[in-house]
Amino acid sequence: MFDHMLSILIFFPALAGMLGFIVSKESIRAYGITVSAIEFVLSLVLWYGYDPSVAGMQFMEQFALVPAFGINYLLGVDGISLFIIILASFFTLIGIASLTETRRVKDMIITLLFLQMTMVGVFAALDAILFYVFWELSLVPMLYIIGAWGGPLRIYASIKFFLYTFTGSLIMLVGMLFMAYFYFQATGQWSFSILEWYRLVLPENLQLWLFVAFFIGFAIKVPMFPFHTWLPYAHGQAPTIGSVILAAILLKMGTYAFVRFSLPLFPDASVFFMVPVAVLAIIMIIYTAMVAYAQEDIKQVVAYSSISHMGVIILGTFAMNVEGISGSVFLMIGHGVVSGALFLLVGVIYDRRHTKLMSEFGGLAQVMPRYATIFGIMVMASVGLPLTINFVGEFLSLLGFYSQSHMMTLLAGTAIIVGAIYMLSAYKKAFFGDVTKEENKTLKDVNKKELVALIPLVILAVWLGVYPKPVLTPINNSVESIVQLMHEKAITPEAKAAIPNPAETKIAMASVTEVEVDVEREAE
Amino acid sequence: MLEAVNVSFGELNLATLAPMLIAIMGALSILVVDLAKSGLHKSLYVMVSLLFLLLDFGSLVDFAGIFTENGTMFGFFNVMLMDGISILSQLIIVGVSMLFIPLALTSKRFHEYDYPEYFSLFLFMIAGFQFMVATDNLILVFVGLETASLALYTMIALHNRSKSFEAAVKYFTMGALAAGFYAFGAMIFYAISGSVEIHTIAEVMAADGFSNIGYASIGSVFMLAALGFKVSLVPFHTWTPDVYEGSSAALAGYMSIVPKIAGFVVVMRLFEFMVHSEVVWLQVILYGGVVVTMTAANIWALVQNDVKRMLAYSSISHAGFVLAAILIGTTQANTALFLYWVLFSFTNLGAFTMLWVNRQKHLLPGQSSDHPYEKFAGMIKIMPFAAILMGLFMLSLAGIPPFGLFWGKLYMISSAVTSGYTVLALIMALNSAIAGYYYLKLIIFMFMKEPVIHGVHEYYMMNASLSLKTIIGIAAFATIFAVVTVNPLIEFIATLVYNSGY
Repeated sequence: MFDHMLSILIFFPALAGMLGFIVSKESIRAYGITVSAIEFVLSLVLWYGYDPSVAGMQFMEQFALVPAFGINYLLGVDGISLFIIILASFFTLIGIASLTETRRVKDMIITLLFLQMTMVGVFAALDAILFYVFWELSLVPMLYIIGAWGGPLRIYASIKFFLYTFTGSLIMLVGMLFMAYFYFQATGQWSFSILEWYRLVLPENLQLWLFVAFFIGFAIKVPMFPFHTWLPYAHGQAPTIGSVILAAILLKMGTYAFVRFSLPLFPDASVFFMVPVAVLAIIMIIYTAMVAYAQEDIKQVVAYSSISHMGVIILGTFAMNVEGISGSVFLMIGHGVVSGALFLLVGVIYDRRHTKLMSEFGGLAQVMPRYATIFGIMVMASVGLPLTINFVGEFLSLLGFYSQSHMMTLLAGTAIIVGAIYMLSAYKKAFFGDVTKEENKTLKDVNKKELVALIPLVILAVWLGVYPKPVLTPINNSVESIVQLMHEKAITPEAKAAIPNPAETKIAMASVTEVEVDVEREAE
Repeated sequence: MLEAVNVSFGELNLATLAPMLIAIMGALSILVVDLAKSGLHKSLYVMVSLLFLLLDFGSLVDFAGIFTENGTMFGFFNVMLMDGISILSQLIIVGVSMLFIPLALTSKRFHEYDYPEYFSLFLFMIAGFQFMVATDNLILVFVGLETASLALYTMIALHNRSKSFEAAVKYFTMGALAAGFYAFGAMIFYAISGSVEIHTIAEVMAADGFSNIGYASIGSVFMLAALGFKVSLVPFHTWTPDVYEGSSAALAGYMSIVPKIAGFVVVMRLFEFMVHSEVVWLQVILYGGVVVTMTAANIWALVQNDVKRMLAYSSISHAGFVLAAILIGTTQANTALFLYWVLFSFTNLGAFTMLWVNRQKHLLPGQSSDHPYEKFAGMIKIMPFAAILMGLFMLSLAGIPPFGLFWGKLYMISSAVTSGYTVLALIMALNSAIAGYYYLKLIIFMFMKEPVIHGVHEYYMMNASLSLKTIIGIAAFATIFAVVTVNPLIEFIATLVYNSGY
């Protein structure tokens, strides 16, 4: 049954979405929950069937789509993509389950199911064109979600979101076509398979150009510093469910693509651009953290803090060693859980008060104790408190980058302190002090439906913070093979030196994880 | 003293005339039927036209089979030329015509379809286009072009609204000018080479090392202007939006596809050899023309208030995109041209048919044109299925994968990449992003705005009949599942194009 597991995972929600047109309006929510629960179970089955000791691709599927042009339907997962796929199905389930009263709820749920198809497709595709198909297709449902259910500026926000990403990915497409052409020149065969591209060693000047072309596409999606302006609009206008999916999964497409495409395809260019990218990432971390501090709107605080943490992911990715990349992949999961949860929490209070301004709140901890507790745990997770999920990822990312540059790591580290400041001060403004507004005195605490969505996230955030091993080991294995590949492919001496050979450094890594486990035991 | 010419009947190879003759026979038989009994319903004429087109298509499939075995066929004193691109373009012309002619079967009555002459003009026009592509003789190209154009002018005017007359006269005037340019250009080429056959012109010019480059350049400019009118290359495009607006949506959709593919084939025959020679200035002109056509038309399309005018500008932009193939000039590029046009015709068929079914007979108060954006506002709430289909066609036109046009764009940009036109490839890609905006605009109106019209229930889909819905279904099906057809199409087209030497 595992032969077509990934195809089932991709197309089951889409098929269910199409059948959903027939389901009556009253029952559509139950239908959506059922479908996404089945999908989540299927993704757990995928995890069950996944062999963590194997570093390479598993559950591979292939058939030729356009053989004359080398386009294949090629799927597979490794430790890097596996958990993001599970996260995607998990968040779709939580998103649909916690969906509050929505206009045209049927359209919303069908759209979400189509969105899920594209999300799983992006992370499972191993053919560049197939990847591009899902990558672009994911824009359409999100455009609709922001544009149809968003705030007053929703149309502007949705167009900006769409055009920004669309432009970037078209440049990336040209890069992909060049890559395929170079492959054709080298082998006489057209191919868009990433695995076959991995075997191609390009001269450095070509790598630089192609790196830039891919970088534009990915950096807009992440979004990295000068290209980030679409995201605050998108988050500001999107409905809760849109923000949750956007922050938890869609942004990960960009960082995932860096690990999947940029690093292994262009190792020399990656090393060449390591410092500029790291500088951008650090600007992104510090600048957006400061911007977050200046926000009045609690959703914007969460949005900017989410951009800020994406900077740490980029930094870890461009550390070029196993610790850094593993950490950044783990941080993708952690960031997904935490920022998804924070957006859900903001949605909870928005449903009650229909405002997101922090000045309207204050003293909520007295009125809504359970809500304040959960929010508090998630804020702690967001600032990277030890024993929470983000700590593991951030620590490993920064540790990885420390071996490349001490100064820059230090700078990035200070930003985490800034992060703690703005998150905690936002928390203080909203939850502590006296209840100043009359409306806030009668607010209801989180209800059962919201708890069903939030409790699993809390458990996840703590569990993976305390015991990250089941997730970290498969990630680590796959990342090792990618770093190995990069090390072997690198042609310039600088790149060889910057990318350590994991076979030699493995011992060091093992001791690091042990230390961490020790720390956790003490804390327990 | 003149010698008697002895030509055996077999040498004439009259079979090469068969496809056009079938269309002409169809046209004549419709006239005869009308003579015998007038006042018959339009459905009869639609079906008769469809049957003749089917025969026409069948004969072309037959020719394609013969071509792959025996290569190019000549006929009728070497005037007729049945090579790969001629067969291919005729297949597209006839195939698209078969899909467009059922659009006459609207549920509301429209003036022009009451005349049987409309359908016979339609078939004459197809024969004209077929002649135009199935020869490399400049005179026969001219005859074909004029036959088709004159029929088309009349068909536009038959729509019988003031804007239609304006459109027909505008198109006629522009067409006459283009014909003049064409005659001048052909004359100059004849003066240089002493021949009106393109391959002889190419040989003579190559033999004397392009020494007459001054005259040749004047001739090429005339030719480019004349054909530029036909394929609506900027700056010869000014007629396009007005003519599209004046004609019925069905005919406008037809005009965005069929006359252009015929034009492309003539451009390909005439300019390919010059691009491949070392004539740099022609490449510069073509490069400029392609880039300006793509970009300027896109920017004009941004500011349109009427969906049909937007689609008119967008079709200009698509034509510019495709003309890049002539500039690149490799087999892959020419294959991409035909692939793109096949996929484009299905998507555009769908988009224009959606306009056609939503065409109301009388404008509402405050409505300035047939299809303003506001008309589609909130369509998802009134007619969800129609809105989704229209959205699908817009996404395909914007080049969102996996829908039809994406594969054409992919292959075309790849052909630019392969031939070292990096900047051109980037311009093509970025133009798709600009175009994304105005296609998105319609989607935004349909899906994200509130309906502006209440109570006028017959406002949407009032023209829909079973046959129109079938056509939309075919177009949607071909657009969604394009990925399955891409491979066979590429292989088939590449064989035909490559064996014709392009």
